[in-house]
Amino acid sequence: MRMSAGPLRRTVAAVVGGVLAAAGLLAGCGGDGSSDSRGAPRPAAEVETLPEPVTPAFVPGAPELLADVESLAWWSPVERPVVARAAPGADARAVARLEARTPEGTRNIVAVLGRRRDGKGALWVRVRLPVLPNGTVGWVPRETLGGYGSVRTRLVVDLERLTATLYRDGRAVFGADVGVGQPANPTPTGEFYVRNKLRRYANAFYGPVAFGTSARSPTLTDWPAGGFVGIHGTNRPELLPGRVSHGCIRLRNDDILRLERLMPVGTPVTIR
Amino acid sequence: MPTEHPTPIIAELDRDGAIEEALAAAGGTTRRGFLAAALAGAGALAGFPETADAARGPKRDTAILNYALVFEYLQAGFYTEAESIGTIRAMGAERETWARTLGAHERAHVTILKDVLGRKAVARPFFDYRGVTEDGDAFTRTAVAMEDLTVALLAGQAPRVSDRSLRAAFFSLLTVEARHAAWARRITGFRPVAAAFDEPKTLAAVDRVVRSTRFLVSRPSRESRRSPRFTG
Repeated sequence: MRMSAGPLRRTVAAVVGGVLAAAGLLAGCGGDGSSDSRGAPRPAAEVETLPEPVTPAFVPGAPELLADVESLAWWSPVERPVVARAAPGADARAVARLEARTPEGTRNIVAVLGRRRDGKGALWVRVRLPVLPNGTVGWVPRETLGGYGSVRTRLVVDLERLTATLYRDGRAVFGADVGVGQPANPTPTGEFYVRNKLRRYANAFYGPVAFGTSARSPTLTDWPAGGFVGIHGTNRPELLPGRVSHGCIRLRNDDILRLERLMPVGTPVTIR
Repeated sequence: MPTEHPTPIIAELDRDGAIEEALAAAGGTTRRGFLAAALAGAGALAGFPETADAARGPKRDTAILNYALVFEYLQAGFYTEAESIGTIRAMGAERETWARTLGAHERAHVTILKDVLGRKAVARPFFDYRGVTEDGDAFTRTAVAMEDLTVALLAGQAPRVSDRSLRAAFFSLLTVEARHAAWARRITGFRPVAAAFDEPKTLAAVDRVVRSTRFLVSRPSRESRRSPRFTG
């Protein structure tokens, strides 16, 4: 039921007046502001002169319940070099050594897949590793990682159709033709993630932007800096789409610039 | 039945005892710490003397709004992370309702403060909750401390807002945060109302407490200008 301002104000004034009167009686008519100088309760008419509440400058919207957490993917920076293990626990078999920096000088990040406590109560995190063989996962102590970042994007590279599609919250928001590895140096398939972004370098071969991924060439293992697979532009757009690269995923320059605006570092990459 | 808790649970965040020192410095100015860094470029609230009338005005109001926004980012991120990775879901129905509700409120607070500040809003900092969001007990205890601290923060800053309609909005945020704090205390078995009077905290006090948590960290570098050496 809505009440107009006039009756509501009179009602409030009457209630407040009554309360003040009671307070005056209980307080022995002391000079606490609830009674006049003769000890009489303050009349309701005087209360009506009290100002209205100040209108707030802003009012928050409805509570924002978290929706669709399933589409979130998590990543975390490696804070210090650490040996990833096959299970949560310092005694478990070593899987790979993780460095705190990438060959490009950025902070090394890992995709976070889960967490568990070991027998001593220490928290371990299951992470996807940027090592060969591709697809390797391992466990690292929680304290060797930094904060968690999250993304709602996922890139799918289809080696048969020679396309890359970016999804956000499950909906396609970007699509482009790509160049992928030649048969002798195939682009690896599996689950990976974007671990850095390079810009403003002076090398037209890679176009204006290059994303580094956790994927590594299974054939070019002695390639400088470890043979990582990138997602980048090109100075040979006429070759796309095609099987033309040494394993990297090449896009036309306008496409990679568009993708740069949409795909944050940490985005999972599925190559199939 | 709620247990007695004679001292504010904020002490749990004050690992190095910094708050004791900071509280003694009531009326002082902040050092260049967590909030000062977060507010760089958006009007350094930390530079305003707490009692200087000359500093009153829209600029300080903006700084206070950004100060509140950083704190709301901190809280919203805390609840969002714990909910997203499943910690909250595993805590039982009552605690799940509590934590999901508070997270939804804090996210709404972030949204409105960003809207109000527009281009002057500070960017979301990067947080490392250091495993606290991954442990139900640690999460709830820290949530209590955070809500208590937010009440003390807003109680200290709301009266400093010069625009009265903005001040009114701040007081409405303050009362909601106080309800959050009471709910969080009740959930964890602490007495919902710690004392008969909520002591406002200075910027220095809040700054020291937040710094002691080490939740606010540098954003990891993920971009470089080095020439790629990918396989091509």
